[in-house]
Amino acid sequence: MDTSSPSAFVNGALLRRYIGQKVRTVIQVIGSDTGSVVGKSTDDLQIVVRGSSPPNPLTTYLEVIGIAESDNSIRAETWTNFGNSFDPQNFNELCKLANGEFKHMFI
Amino acid sequence: MPVSLTPNAITAINAGDVNLKPLLQVLDIKMIGRSQERNQERYRFLISDGVSAQHAMVAVQLNDRVKSGAVDKGSIVQLIDYICSDVKGRKVIVVLNMETLVPQSETIGNPTIFGETDAEAQKTLSAAGNIPLSNRVGFNEPMVQHSVNKAPPRGINIQNSANSTSSFRPSVQPSYQPPASYRNHGPIMKNEAPARVIPIAALNPYQGRWAIKARITAKGDIRRYNNAKGDGKVFSFDLLDSDGGEIRVTCFNAVVDRFYDVTEVGKVYLISKGSLKPAQKNFNHLKNEWEIFLESASTVELCPDEDGSIPRQQFSFRPISDIENAENNTILDVIGVVTSVNPSVPILRKNGMETHRRILNLKDESGKAVEVTLWGEFCNRDGRELEEMVNSASHPVLAIKAGKVSDFSGKSVGTISSTQLFINPDFPEAHKLRNWFDRGGKDTASFSISRDTMPGGSSRNEIRKNVSQIKEEGLGRSDKPDWITVKATVSFIKTDSFCYTACPLMIGDKQCNKKVTRSGTNRWLCDRCNQESDECEYRYLLQVQIQDHTGLTWVTAFQETGEEIMGCPAQKLYALKYELEKEEEFAEIVRDRLFHQYMLKLKIKEESYGDEQRVKMTVVKVDKVNYTSESRFLLDLLVR
Repeated sequence: MDTSSPSAFVNGALLRRYIGQKVRTVIQVIGSDTGSVVGKSTDDLQIVVRGSSPPNPLTTYLEVIGIAESDNSIRAETWTNFGNSFDPQNFNELCKLANGEFKHMFI
Repeated sequence: MPVSLTPNAITAINAGDVNLKPLLQVLDIKMIGRSQERNQERYRFLISDGVSAQHAMVAVQLNDRVKSGAVDKGSIVQLIDYICSDVKGRKVIVVLNMETLVPQSETIGNPTIFGETDAEAQKTLSAAGNIPLSNRVGFNEPMVQHSVNKAPPRGINIQNSANSTSSFRPSVQPSYQPPASYRNHGPIMKNEAPARVIPIAALNPYQGRWAIKARITAKGDIRRYNNAKGDGKVFSFDLLDSDGGEIRVTCFNAVVDRFYDVTEVGKVYLISKGSLKPAQKNFNHLKNEWEIFLESASTVELCPDEDGSIPRQQFSFRPISDIENAENNTILDVIGVVTSVNPSVPILRKNGMETHRRILNLKDESGKAVEVTLWGEFCNRDGRELEEMVNSASHPVLAIKAGKVSDFSGKSVGTISSTQLFINPDFPEAHKLRNWFDRGGKDTASFSISRDTMPGGSSRNEIRKNVSQIKEEGLGRSDKPDWITVKATVSFIKTDSFCYTACPLMIGDKQCNKKVTRSGTNRWLCDRCNQESDECEYRYLLQVQIQDHTGLTWVTAFQETGEEIMGCPAQKLYALKYELEKEEEFAEIVRDRLFHQYMLKLKIKEESYGDEQRVKMTVVKVDKVNYTSESRFLLDLLVR
């Protein structure tokens, strides 16, 4: 497993903590344009993801790994379709735990 | 408030006033023979000015007013054109023209027949009226004749046992205590004035005189029965008043005949003179410790001018999530959106009677769904309607009043005889549900409380343990087996004897499945059936080792669970290993089934083997791990 460039699990609210750093998150796709995808984070905030090659077609949920550019946008390096049934609540809890109580177990 | 009638009109008309144009009430309408002249029916009214009543013939040109119902019993009319002539010593009024002012009204005042003999008066007045007053029946044979201080004094008819008038109870509903009207003069006087209307909640057997004004919310069918006293019949109806009080009213035998036809669901009635007894909680699910029993002296009067202060129905809807915690046999009201309707299935009941059953699914905003079982008539009538609606993709809102909670498989709600179903009702709760459903409620996942549909132990009935806890907590040692769920991985499968030869014969609707022994070259003998069969069935009897982060243990899996674990029928593996002797392929299949993780439901029980006590664990259900619910479960463990 390549641990050279770890990414932090974030949701909408946690994104601002990692500006300029590598993050990963899952969003619910709301709309897409050339070069960008607008989605809803697992804590109901809007996130814009810019990048060159989003998957086509997009499923409802999308995982994005990339650099946080601002508190609501990410420059994506890796995109992965996560399908249409995904539990955002569970992921949201994961983000909270991974940045809180169990931070030492992650990055 | 009803219109006021012209006071003393009858007296005036009889005195010769034909220009009065009085307002009178029609108490009765009778068709009298056919006129000899023109072969037409003649109608006769009994008209009243609130104090006196008199017959009046209706001119034939007004006949169709009667036939069309423009004039009816209880109507308040204005006589435009009329005459009053002397016929054979009696005054006869003939109505030539009139207008109906109020089509329906309760009898105004306490009218007594003007100038007629007693027997006739009683007959006419007791037959009159659109309101069945049971007490009037009682007056048909007055035992004691005394005059009443209420009625206008009638010269010849006071204190004369053959000819005195009796007072007739008015059918207005006074909200005050009217002046007492005493029937008998003498040492025993009975206050016969109408009772005060009180709230249903105030009713009790020690109340004394009472009257209630309430709407019928439900009416049962006539039920016939047979007991030691002979044959009987009974029917009941439920009442709701403006304060929200509810009570059931029951009638037996002759009383059934009096009231069954006049009582209609949805209409408001004034009821009095019934007896109060404790409610039979087995059948009566209303919130009242009393029940009214009507008798021969009871009265049930229709109140046509309802003011809307009495609601049509009273519900206390519970969210489906509450039903999960409700006790078995609780009666409750619930409302939800119908997501699916199954076809009607004939069911044979314990008493040999056949009935029908239909299952449908209901979901609401609590995020839970519940199975609703419709029995009997509900299957056909409402069930079919609901099925059609769901099939045409319009998911209706269904409100259930008085459904019964059953804990047969999870929690479900079933119909009973007093259940009422309302499809797409016009309630605020229904509208709220409709909005929620159409705006996304349709797609949200609902946990069904009726079955373990969520694999992975998110159902509240499952006890979740890990492997080490089985030993630590001494599960299986009490006199009843323990049922638990573990999340574990299959780490080893014994292949030496993974199946046995089973008897294929049927016992009733189940297969015998007892182990059969070879008899002869190609036959199998079963001890239980005492028969031989040509073929036997190979059924799983797997010994499997399961493991989780706390430890490992051995469990037994029979046919169904064995197939889940092995992914193929025992017959196939048996053939592969022993008949075709493809050991390699066999081993590969088995290896392939190792290290899969499952949610396993186990039945744990200690059993004696000779001197030893061993804890036997049987796999009852094998389910794939549902990651969503399992994650929730783990998150929950973290939080605690």
